[in-house]
Amino acid sequence: MSERGAKIREISERLLKEGKIDMVIGFRKGTLPMMNEPCLVKSPEDVKNLVWDSNCGINLAKYLIGRKEKIGVVAKGCDSRNIVTHLIENKIKRDQLFIIGVPCEGMIDRRKIASMFEKEIKEVAEEKNKIIVRGSGFEKILEKSEVLQKNCAICIHRNPVIYDELAADIVKEQKNVDRYKDVRQIESMPPEEKRDYFNDLLSPCIRCYACRNACPLCYCPTCFVDESRPQWVGKGIDLTDIKTFHFLRAYHCAGRCTDCGACERACPLGIDVRAFTMKLEKDCFELYGWEAGMSKDERPPLDTYRPDDPNDFFK
Amino acid sequence: MKVIKINKENWAGGLEKSKGSYRLFGPVKNNELHEFKQLDKEELPDCDYFNTRLSPKSIIYPQSETMFEFSLDENREDHHILKEIDTDYSPRAIIGIRPCDAAAFLLVKRNFSTPEYKDSYWLNAYETTTFIGLACGNPHDTCFCTTTGCGPFNEEGLDLLLVDAGDCYFAKTITSKGENFLRAAGWDAGTDVETVCEQIKTMKQEAEAKITSFVATDKLKDKKTTDLFDAPFWEETAFACINCGACTYACPTCWCFDIQDEVSGYSGIRIRNWDSCMYPLFTLHGSGHNPRSTNMQRVRQRFMHKLKYYPDRYGEGILCVGCGRCIRLCSVNIDIRRVCDLMNSYEVQVTSD
Amino acid sequence: MGFSINNQQSTINNPKWEPKIVAFLCNWCSYGAADLAGISRLQYPPNIRVIRVPCTGRMSPKFILSAFMNGADGVWVSGCHPGDCHYLEGNYYARRKLSLFKGLMEHMGIESDRLHFSWISSAEGTKFAEMANKVTKAVRDAGPANYFAKKISILKTKVA
Repeated sequence: MSERGAKIREISERLLKEGKIDMVIGFRKGTLPMMNEPCLVKSPEDVKNLVWDSNCGINLAKYLIGRKEKIGVVAKGCDSRNIVTHLIENKIKRDQLFIIGVPCEGMIDRRKIASMFEKEIKEVAEEKNKIIVRGSGFEKILEKSEVLQKNCAICIHRNPVIYDELAADIVKEQKNVDRYKDVRQIESMPPEEKRDYFNDLLSPCIRCYACRNACPLCYCPTCFVDESRPQWVGKGIDLTDIKTFHFLRAYHCAGRCTDCGACERACPLGIDVRAFTMKLEKDCFELYGWEAGMSKDERPPLDTYRPDDPNDFFK
Repeated sequence: MKVIKINKENWAGGLEKSKGSYRLFGPVKNNELHEFKQLDKEELPDCDYFNTRLSPKSIIYPQSETMFEFSLDENREDHHILKEIDTDYSPRAIIGIRPCDAAAFLLVKRNFSTPEYKDSYWLNAYETTTFIGLACGNPHDTCFCTTTGCGPFNEEGLDLLLVDAGDCYFAKTITSKGENFLRAAGWDAGTDVETVCEQIKTMKQEAEAKITSFVATDKLKDKKTTDLFDAPFWEETAFACINCGACTYACPTCWCFDIQDEVSGYSGIRIRNWDSCMYPLFTLHGSGHNPRSTNMQRVRQRFMHKLKYYPDRYGEGILCVGCGRCIRLCSVNIDIRRVCDLMNSYEVQVTSD
Repeated sequence: MGFSINNQQSTINNPKWEPKIVAFLCNWCSYGAADLAGISRLQYPPNIRVIRVPCTGRMSPKFILSAFMNGADGVWVSGCHPGDCHYLEGNYYARRKLSLFKGLMEHMGIESDRLHFSWISSAEGTKFAEMANKVTKAVRDAGPANYFAKKISILKTKVA
């Protein structure tokens, strides 16, 4: 992992020195274990701050929206797919970007790891496929494959789909992954059970909008929750309002979501908000054979149609 | 001051007894997270905890609070008239609140109770609540309460401080409200005050020594507001921020709210909801102009309010108790300790021209 | 006070309960079909509240969610047959949009009997009346959709 960091720093320094870009958007080391902070590097002297490890789960495509500068951006598989989506939606221009692609082996789930220990974790290191967790008076070595973020565990596009230079060799993609096991499990429930499931899921929600704001797809100038004429959604903690918010948030990502997991990672209460977006991803794939962000020359599913689209529920 | 010894075998019984005169709130574990909730009959607080995910401010200051109700039915005589709603202000007690969270209410009180204005909702809830603190023996790396004018055994804002001494709690009475609660619970086993106080003092020192994270706030007061406002570090500080409200909603000292009317058919209510300075809507004018339209301006506002405007306005102390929640819950790792140090150590670069 | 359909408390035990259905009808076809059904004196139940939309392509999921939040028991969207859109392709886009919408709604636990979609041209007054009967029967059988309606009540302390 640290080799990737070194390579990212090398590429960034070269590009900044050559004046090919104005800035690099990457990660710097966080102040807590298992946390990194997205950062902006403008001068070659600051390139040393850039890091790469298994805690870079935030989607950096979020930080590109509407920028005017020439930007070097560090992008793992999902980030690169969201960059493609940005290109399709004219949120940034290709010639503004120098994409430093990072073939990714998955990000670790900090909440899962924290919940495995009674005591506070003071330090987390990684070595090859092992995660070493240390706290006062304990040390434990975990298999990285067992503590991956849920979306990373079922990821089938770990390599960037678009890049100018790679920070490591292409990694092997995961094969025979059942991406929709969780969705099918909910689908098999009777309606009442589904409602209970989502009511329970959302009951801790405090409407901080971290899920919405961490998402690279959310950039409306006025979000529907902030619209007041008419006001579609109440602003309090009424469960109907909360459900409506989550429903519409997910629906706005239909056909655009790359399952980067930023929403779920950002939720301060650890709510599995991917339960909504994954259903839409499944439907887009099964109905229209669509995977978001794979090519900038194809129109997204809600921006196009075919005369012979499935029609069975229209009477 | 009195110190009462509560044997842990008398703990459950006393709490149950106190439920006769108080509604009790306490930390309860729910889906791996601790949260404060009202304790049902026979339900005990889980006092073996670090701290709750969110602060207990919602007990006094709910996220959504109904202020008035009204009817739009013009056949009714009282249509379009706002009527106050009945709120239960019977005595309550919060069991096991951490000293930092209790101290936070004192900071917030300066806002809700000024000589000119008294917020009856907040004050009624606050004044009818007894705060029974639980000294913090096991702080985390993100706790920095000792340098925010607070501490793991801090007594200000509490009515009673419990100290866990293994097979018993020592209960140090701080106010008459605290004494009343002890009476209601039937805990009255006296103890040798001097020895116990010595013991508590040692435990306090041990706990304080465990706090290894600090902020320096000494120079903030002397800085010019405009210098800090125009400081160059804000762009870099705010870059990662996604402008969600997690920090403000988790914070025990954030107090901003927004008032909304909600109507269904002919009946409606006026509620106030927590608001957050992180949201663009927070400052959006009716004209469409937004004085804090950028991410950076909003992040700057949050930290300037906590660390500069508040101390300037109220004369002492920052608007932060060092509970560390915003650090732990921020999804992009914006750390108030780092920002505080940047502000405290900032010197204006004097240019020659 | 505008559109409000929830001032009457509906419960399954109430024998007087009648389903409330919001029908979003395309101006160029299904709305005309409703007219034709009326002129032809075809009978269909009075449970349907019609909202005219310029095209099914105008349908936003917010409209449907809003109907349910305000107490509708069922929603019906009807537009022009594929290929016959007044704006050439609005209904094709709508079909995709509503397919994903229906999928997610049902995923969250709404019964499939509460959401109906149809293509009805302005000449199909009979189909309109038949469909209105079918939709009403399905929603009636599904019962009141109380769980999705927003109830205004004095908010109790939610302690986090």
